Amino acid sequence: MSQDLLAPLLWLIPAAPLLSAITTALLGPKLLKYRSHIPCWSALAVSFAASLALLIMLPQQTATTAGGFIPPADLVAAPGAAGTDPAVAVAEPQTAAPDVSLPVNRPEVVVYIGEWLSLEPAPDKADVDVTADIPSKNRQRRGLRVPLELRVDSISSIMLAMVTGVSLLVALFGSGYMHHDAGYPRFFAAVSMFVFSMCMLVMSSSFVMLFVFWEMVGLCSYLLIGFWFRKPSAAAASKKAFVLNRIGDFGLIMGIFLIWTNFGTVEFAGVLSNTQRLQELAAENSGVITLICFCLFLGAMGKSAQFPLQVWLPDAMEGPTPVSALIHAATMVTAGVYLVARCTPLFVLAPQAQLLVTGTGAVTAALAALIALTQTDLKRVLAYSTVSQLGFMFMALGCGAADPNLASMAVTAGMFHLFTHAFFKALLFLAAGSVMHAMGDVIDMRRFSGLRRALPITHWTFLVGAAALAGVPLLAGFWSKDEILAVLMAASRTGEHRLFFGAVLVVASLTALLTAFYTFRAYFMTFWGPEKFPEEAGHHPHEATPIMAWPLRILAVAALFIGLAVGPTHLFGNTLTKTVGLTPFEAHFHLDVMALSVVIATAGIGLAWMLYVAMPRVPATIATVLKPFYVLSQGKFYLDEILYVLVVLPLRGIAFLSTLFDRLVIDGIIDSIGTVPRVLGDRVRSLQGGVVTAYAGLMWVGLVVLVVVCLSIS
Amino acid sequence: MPAFNELNQAAGLIIPEIILIATVCIMFLTAPFLVSENGSSAAGLKHRWGALTLLALLCSTFAWLKSPLTDGSVGPFEVDAFAWYIRGIALVSGFLLTLILWDQTDDTHAAENFACLLATIAGTSFVALANDLIGIFLGLELVSIPTYILLYLGRSDWMSREATIKYFLLSIFSSAMVLFGLAWIYGIAGTTNLSAIADRAHRAIPGFEHGMLLVAQIIMIAGISFRLTAVPFHFYAPDVFQGVAPSASAMLSFVPKVVGFAALLQILPLCAGADGIAAWAPTKNQAWLFSTMALITMTFGNVMAFRQTSVLRMLAWSSISHAGYMLVGLAVATQHGGEHPNEASGQAALMFYLPIYGLMSIGVFAVLAAAGNRSRMLRSLEDLHGLSQTRPALALAMSVCVFGLSGLPPTGGFLGKLNLFVAAWVVNSQLSRTLAIALAANAVVAAAYYLRLIGLMYFETPKTIVEPEPRPASAVAGAFCAVSALLLFASPQWLWNAAAAAVSLVTA
Repeated sequence: MSQDLLAPLLWLIPAAPLLSAITTALLGPKLLKYRSHIPCWSALAVSFAASLALLIMLPQQTATTAGGFIPPADLVAAPGAAGTDPAVAVAEPQTAAPDVSLPVNRPEVVVYIGEWLSLEPAPDKADVDVTADIPSKNRQRRGLRVPLELRVDSISSIMLAMVTGVSLLVALFGSGYMHHDAGYPRFFAAVSMFVFSMCMLVMSSSFVMLFVFWEMVGLCSYLLIGFWFRKPSAAAASKKAFVLNRIGDFGLIMGIFLIWTNFGTVEFAGVLSNTQRLQELAAENSGVITLICFCLFLGAMGKSAQFPLQVWLPDAMEGPTPVSALIHAATMVTAGVYLVARCTPLFVLAPQAQLLVTGTGAVTAALAALIALTQTDLKRVLAYSTVSQLGFMFMALGCGAADPNLASMAVTAGMFHLFTHAFFKALLFLAAGSVMHAMGDVIDMRRFSGLRRALPITHWTFLVGAAALAGVPLLAGFWSKDEILAVLMAASRTGEHRLFFGAVLVVASLTALLTAFYTFRAYFMTFWGPEKFPEEAGHHPHEATPIMAWPLRILAVAALFIGLAVGPTHLFGNTLTKTVGLTPFEAHFHLDVMALSVVIATAGIGLAWMLYVAMPRVPATIATVLKPFYVLSQGKFYLDEILYVLVVLPLRGIAFLSTLFDRLVIDGIIDSIGTVPRVLGDRVRSLQGGVVTAYAGLMWVGLVVLVVVCLSIS
Repeated sequence: MPAFNELNQAAGLIIPEIILIATVCIMFLTAPFLVSENGSSAAGLKHRWGALTLLALLCSTFAWLKSPLTDGSVGPFEVDAFAWYIRGIALVSGFLLTLILWDQTDDTHAAENFACLLATIAGTSFVALANDLIGIFLGLELVSIPTYILLYLGRSDWMSREATIKYFLLSIFSSAMVLFGLAWIYGIAGTTNLSAIADRAHRAIPGFEHGMLLVAQIIMIAGISFRLTAVPFHFYAPDVFQGVAPSASAMLSFVPKVVGFAALLQILPLCAGADGIAAWAPTKNQAWLFSTMALITMTFGNVMAFRQTSVLRMLAWSSISHAGYMLVGLAVATQHGGEHPNEASGQAALMFYLPIYGLMSIGVFAVLAAAGNRSRMLRSLEDLHGLSQTRPALALAMSVCVFGLSGLPPTGGFLGKLNLFVAAWVVNSQLSRTLAIALAANAVVAAAYYLRLIGLMYFETPKTIVEPEPRPASAVAGAFCAVSALLLFASPQWLWNAAAAAVSLVTA
């Protein structure tokens, strides 16, 4: 029964935003103009409702669903089409958790749309079953088949609900924030397109489809960062984001190639659920799996702004603030985390790759937090905090390296932080946008202060977001950060990499302290102190209009309660672990970790209060005392400059040489060749005199010459 | 009685041509009665004649599709795959040329115009069908003589008359050469029947590889080269193309080439002692002759096209250079068919390129015909300035066709040139490799003036205002050519199969 309902739901989720994007793009500039938000709002509302319904209905899908949505008869048994039959998948030994013996229900719905790529169709299509016992050698010789499918399992249903929910709120906020901007229709067309692409990204059933929409969200991000493309800094930032993402995408596509050569398919069902082949590969050539994971992680590093590719994200704040909230904080940048979590079955077999994931996450988290300490641009503080929090997520994701049994817990922690982070970071950005809106587009915290009376709604919502980010108990960020610290602590107590994870735990705790500190530094600098407005704000700054205030309120409520609602109740964990590669685990409260978190949060917030409210002169003193460190942090550790010297300058040099070669050598040759016909043409033109007897004579001469030459040759 | 039977049988083989010629007779006989003494006639008469022409072509096409292939006939005609293919090309070009003529002719002379066109189409088929030297020559003349009338009737100003007279005189001159060459061949072989000549060549009668045969070939090739517009027999082309109406130029740019190549492919293999086109590999002399001519023709054509200020002259030079490209196909012909029917061979590449070139060339002239009006036709390059603003659809069709002529993807022209290049490259000799490189280099050089044409249409502001006159038929022809040029890039296989079958050992 519910199957009949699920298929249309799956269709609706991406179709509504796509329709809205097309409508707005076509009709927006001429017809809709400042009503362009209407298609976007309605589409996102539809998508969100559908996603929620899907989230609720999906767990009720049992093994019987496997026959629910099936492509036409000839493709029935193709991999991925029929979904992984839960019964079969579970009957096999699970690599992720060898000790699990209980059958797990892994709900999954697939709607088959058509074939996108079907190269060299194998004649024995009928027996291409993921779980069938075909010799793996055969499988490697198959052609490339990429079906166009909508596939939803537990992890994607969570992502969908989060993405559509946050986008809806951001779109509401955006119509107030962007009102009377000349590019109003363009903004909503791009946002709709982004939501469509992001939904399709998480609904992809194969790596290739994932890659396509991975690029699509990258494109939307490019378009929106450069939304005010007449501003040189915005144009440069969009280019930077695009180019740096290419580096990551190179890794991703190499990873996909490797997967294809080793698995013979690029479909998730044929790779991630293919336990037999995974184990075979791990036994005979584990280096390949590690390499695949490295490549995939390189892709994730680009999209999720991990060290050293993180430099694009802070610059991406050149885009409109709602875009920063949606794309560069809540959704798109988490695609990397999603990818790594999705590929858990691969990563558990590659401990080195997991160590890399955790290590990169730790470095990124600490570095970004240190930079965030001294930034004076409110949005940049938040941007660095996003980078830092993404680092946290990756730190957690790699914990399976200590013990494969930890993998499920690790992924759950990372994904949970992704989930809560989306809400409070979107909230913080929107609140920052509200500040910016009120201050006449000024975002430098040195130029305003004491806004808590002028902007009461913005103030309390920002405070909630900041508290959640800092990890104040019972708020969203507390639960997820707590889980990350817990899994790190567990990892530091077991396995051969005990020391490594111990060190990471220390870094994570310190970073958490820094997080609490810089978040509240921003909060106190903005909302406390003497009331001060920049002249751009006019004589009286105006509080957010209702259309901007309501999304703030709703997100604030979410930031307050969503962690409590789904974290300690294990709602999140129980849903997520139904994904392929994860197994349910015993979850319990980690009172020791919680105590640590509370201490850290309190210390950070207290320190911020002391320095920026109680003793506002001290920070300047500290800055002068620790001048080198201050300059280093203020200058973002000069990573941009280092990258410029190491990467950009050599490339520029090569480009310059190429230009020289092209201009002087190639063009010179072409130009001189080009003059030959002209000169020749002028010469022989005289033959073409127009006198018919001359023509006849020339024909005669031609004939005679041909005869004479031919005879003399033979 | 056997003679009667043979004739009867032979008539059954040429039903499509009989339909065309019968229509021609009807038109010539009836038309004078429909035009009054003072030269006026009922309005719209030309469209009725046009419709009759299309009807005749349709019937002929139907008969063509139904016609069975004969094998090894000794009668006057032979419908092999080669004849079948050339007939198809002739009929399709007949449709297109009729459409162009539809708007161009006037009511008084419409019947004669259309009749002459049909006669040339029938003549084209005859050349491919003929199993006899006489038959081939008659086919050639069946194309030439109506062409004189067609050129003369097209427009009536001094320029057109001069062009027509030039063409008339030089064409007669070249026909005389062909006939002279054929007479020599007859003198050597002692028969005019192609099968008999092939038979004699096969048995290698002493003296067959004699200098006499060589001279005979060269004289014949020289005469036919006039029709191909190969250097140095091309001189008339720019003057004539410039002088006559676009409908006539369209016809001149393509139909004589088809006839010429068909005649060459019929006769040359015999002179090389090969039994049919498929088994033909050019003798050393033939290869040398065609290579030289191809090289000179394409280079000369492109070089001269550069500095033209008249679009018609430029297209004439372009047509000359294309004759050069196609001659490459003859120069690198290899035994075709047998075990590898799809292998690139010079003949097959030539057969493949011929209709593609026809589409693109006729398409360009169709657009020129559609964009002009009664008082003023497009002549100089300046007339094309900004065509994309005044006639966007026509400009687009023209651009596609010009793209095709320059051999750029995504048009069939690219594949045509590519096949010729590959055919030349795979023949592992220094001469053919040189030809292949020359072909590629020429295509690059040619792109410069072709693309300039597109540039003029799209990036210049209109200079001369040509009052638009609805000429839907020509526009349809142009659109058809442009669309087919694109489609042939997308799915060329069927045409390649047909072209390869036309020159392969295995009859389809």
